[in-house]
Amino acid sequence: MTELSKIRNFSIIAHIDHGKSTLADRLLEECDAVDNRQKEQQILDSMDLERERGITIKATAVQLSYTADDGETYALNLIDTPGHVDFNYEVSRSLAACEGAILVVDASQGVEAQTLANTYLAIDAGLEVLPVINKIDLPSARPKEVKAEVEDIIGIPAEDSPEISAKNGINIHSVLEMIVKDVPAPEGDREAPLQALIFDSQYDSYRGVVVYTRIKAGTVRAGQDIKMMSTGAIYKVVEVGTMSPYGLIPREELGAGEVGYITASIKTIADTQVGDTITTLENPAKEVLPGYRPVQPMVYSGVYPADGAKYQDLREALEKLKLNDASMSYELESSIALGFGFRCGFLGLLHMEIIQERLEREYNLDLITTAPNVVYRVTKNDGTVLMVDNPLDYPDPMEIQLAEEPYVKISLIAPQDYVGNMMDLATSRRGEFKDMVYLDANRVELHYEMPLNEIIYDFFDALKSRTRGYGSLDYELIGYRPSRLVKLDILLNGDVVDALSFILFADNAYPRARKICEKLKDNIPRAQFEIPVQAAIGGKIIARETIKALRKDVLAKCYGGDITRKKKLLEKQKEGKKRMRTFGTVSVPSEAFMAVLKLDED
Amino acid sequence: MPFLTRNHKTPLGIYIHVPFCRSKCQYCDFYSVTDRSDKLLDGYLEAVCTHIREAGALAPGYLVDTVYFGGGTPSFFGAEGLAIILSVIRKSFDVSRNAEITFEANPDSVSDKLLKRLRGEGFNRVSLGIQCDNDEILKKIGRPHTYEQAEAAFKRIRKAGFRNVSVDLMYGLPGQTLTAWENTLRNVLQLNPEHISCYGLKVEEGTPLYEYQQYCDLADDDTQADMYLSAVQILRSFGYRQYEISNFCKKGQVSRHNLKYWTGGEFLGFGPNASSDFAGQQFTIVRDLHTYVEQILSGGQVLQEVHDVPSRERAGEYLMFRLRIASGVDPQEYEKQFLLPFAPLEKTMEKFRQQGLAQKTYDGRWHLTPEGFLVSNTIISDLLVIQERT
Repeated sequence: MTELSKIRNFSIIAHIDHGKSTLADRLLEECDAVDNRQKEQQILDSMDLERERGITIKATAVQLSYTADDGETYALNLIDTPGHVDFNYEVSRSLAACEGAILVVDASQGVEAQTLANTYLAIDAGLEVLPVINKIDLPSARPKEVKAEVEDIIGIPAEDSPEISAKNGINIHSVLEMIVKDVPAPEGDREAPLQALIFDSQYDSYRGVVVYTRIKAGTVRAGQDIKMMSTGAIYKVVEVGTMSPYGLIPREELGAGEVGYITASIKTIADTQVGDTITTLENPAKEVLPGYRPVQPMVYSGVYPADGAKYQDLREALEKLKLNDASMSYELESSIALGFGFRCGFLGLLHMEIIQERLEREYNLDLITTAPNVVYRVTKNDGTVLMVDNPLDYPDPMEIQLAEEPYVKISLIAPQDYVGNMMDLATSRRGEFKDMVYLDANRVELHYEMPLNEIIYDFFDALKSRTRGYGSLDYELIGYRPSRLVKLDILLNGDVVDALSFILFADNAYPRARKICEKLKDNIPRAQFEIPVQAAIGGKIIARETIKALRKDVLAKCYGGDITRKKKLLEKQKEGKKRMRTFGTVSVPSEAFMAVLKLDED
Repeated sequence: MPFLTRNHKTPLGIYIHVPFCRSKCQYCDFYSVTDRSDKLLDGYLEAVCTHIREAGALAPGYLVDTVYFGGGTPSFFGAEGLAIILSVIRKSFDVSRNAEITFEANPDSVSDKLLKRLRGEGFNRVSLGIQCDNDEILKKIGRPHTYEQAEAAFKRIRKAGFRNVSVDLMYGLPGQTLTAWENTLRNVLQLNPEHISCYGLKVEEGTPLYEYQQYCDLADDDTQADMYLSAVQILRSFGYRQYEISNFCKKGQVSRHNLKYWTGGEFLGFGPNASSDFAGQQFTIVRDLHTYVEQILSGGQVLQEVHDVPSRERAGEYLMFRLRIASGVDPQEYEKQFLLPFAPLEKTMEKFRQQGLAQKTYDGRWHLTPEGFLVSNTIISDLLVIQERT
């Protein structure tokens, strides 16, 4: 075990794109943890998706061995955190395992919405926050002003903060020295009863569940009988160890203050709740560690296999994904239109997209997703209160006494030139203006309260385009407010397609209904008969388009010379049809569902 | 097949691909070259003959009842070459005395001399590519002849003694209106051919037309559909029976060779890019004349794809190709041949019947109506999905 005084546990927090993952890579290199030949950009972002999108989705931890200027060798445990507003929960779990946080601030962009949000999370978790000014090699860098901003806006000293370029490896050494000097060494009694915080877990097909943990008190070693304190599950430890960039390194034991992993042939996914405390059976801890807050998905959508026969595969994939991602929820649902599938809960729209992409790529599934919605609160005439996360469960309007939708407080930051644009955007999305603060001579922070429903679709993209990429966004849930809601149904050839129904604000119903009908018209192939596409509220048609009947789809010539080619053509058409869902008499390809989701892109 | 099986031999069709053209038509994606050097012509002739001899040795149990020279433009290749190939076929295979022997011809390359020679060699059917009666359109689509030449060619063919003549026509051509198409049909009907093929123009990728189709004033799908239905009507009123999606004939004058493609008959193809369905296998020859000649003459390999067709796939082909023809599918035959139930398909056919796309005959066969033919791809692919699920 490493001496407590030689351990530093820290994470890196930043606004998206401020260089968090790049700095992590440089720290690894500086500590020789990475062989240059094997170097790949952004080592900690190990998922293909993470590298492609340039964002961190999952927290990852790695141990570095660093010999400081004082001649001592330290074990530095770096816990990488996700950087998107959807993943605040993952950030909070990672922070609970640390004593310090490096706050990376872009030397030209300065403080942004998530810089603030993440800093507050770190301060709330009792962490020492150490600012680092990154990208100082850019011509537009203004490190002095940005430091002043950090001091003024956040209120933490930044005068002596290292000025670095993670990309070009400038001043990385000073960051490491700062970690050794300013991040407090962990504390904890290694003789006390075991208290180990689960901050992440990963499924490995050979080892079972690999639990990433921070030991807060006591010691854990192979052979011990352990217990998950909130689920009560009991296991015998198979192996403990630490994480290197190349994989797991077994150790004899892990003691208080250390960060590492535990394997115990854990097969049951539900037994390892992230945020739970592990203790030993022999000498159990009295208390569960604080700081765990259960995740609340904010956005729900139905996820169905494009090929109905793949339902079991989807179920297994979700089970496995859930193990790596405690913030996602899923439960069985069935739709008349789509058959068996799952109603899944996500932290936000990015999170939803990522889960879908992972299901499709890593588990080779073809999916149909229904329109995302928030959770509505409906009080019926008889006084019962329903939480509606599925449009199918929305009661008849006659039975509703009160309908409420979740509201969020949003913070928008951008240069003052874009204030007008931001205000227009927020107002058009039913935002209620609260206040406006000048962060410095040029930049402004706006606060609004608005329905969550208005930001889950494309709000962030719209903000980026109206502020030329400068705008940043953060939001938090503030509760439910009464609202005028309606359920919009879509009919194909006269039949309601339940999977296309959704709930929305009454005033938005007409324009949205028209757009949906248009999109469906463009995306549903012509059939041998005419198909009306209609949108209705409570049986009243409010929009209509018509898909003309298909009159010609024929191979005029089909002789010996091209018989093979013609055969392939028909086979291909058959395969296309297999991927369509039939509603009554109408075949709908999965692209049509996607198109309905992307209503706002044009 | 009921046609002329002597000594219980299996009927076989032979297709010769003659890949030479005077010029490439703008819409055509069949394989052909415009180079007609002696070296290439001689090489082709030698290779095809060698190829036929080799194959003939492997088909002792077969009786050839149809031979079809397609292209390319066989008439442009010349009478001498066609005659030599036919004689090699006769020497290498058992060819029925009543065999249907067809060659394709273009109006610009049928001289009296050529016709006389081929008639003398035993050719008994000609397929003449007329396409259209409007010289401006003919020029636009790259046809190397006028309508007057086409009429004259038809008359020469008759004069040479061919009693079974087919003409190819196209609709949906650049600038062609519905009325213009109907007039073309009436003009061509004056010639009184035994057989007419009407093809809707399909813009194929890789053809010159594909590149500039948006500048061509092409008929849209709805107009093409109208043109098609109008042709069906007109030809019917003139006594032509529609026996396949694009093919019409006077009583008893079907193309026996082409019918093999749609009824699961066996055929062997020779020449570049020719296909075969023989002894349970489907195979296609390489789509390059030079490679073909080189490989055949050096004893090498010319097959591009060889595919053993499992029964399940044959069941799919049965639907794909039988639904192209007027006699349609026979549920009893289907169940017996593939050991699959027809009932699920019957249900869907019934749905199509209600939409006016299919009809059931008194003896239980199903076939498509002209409206059904027009959307036959969707009908067939619907049926294939259902077939796969049973």
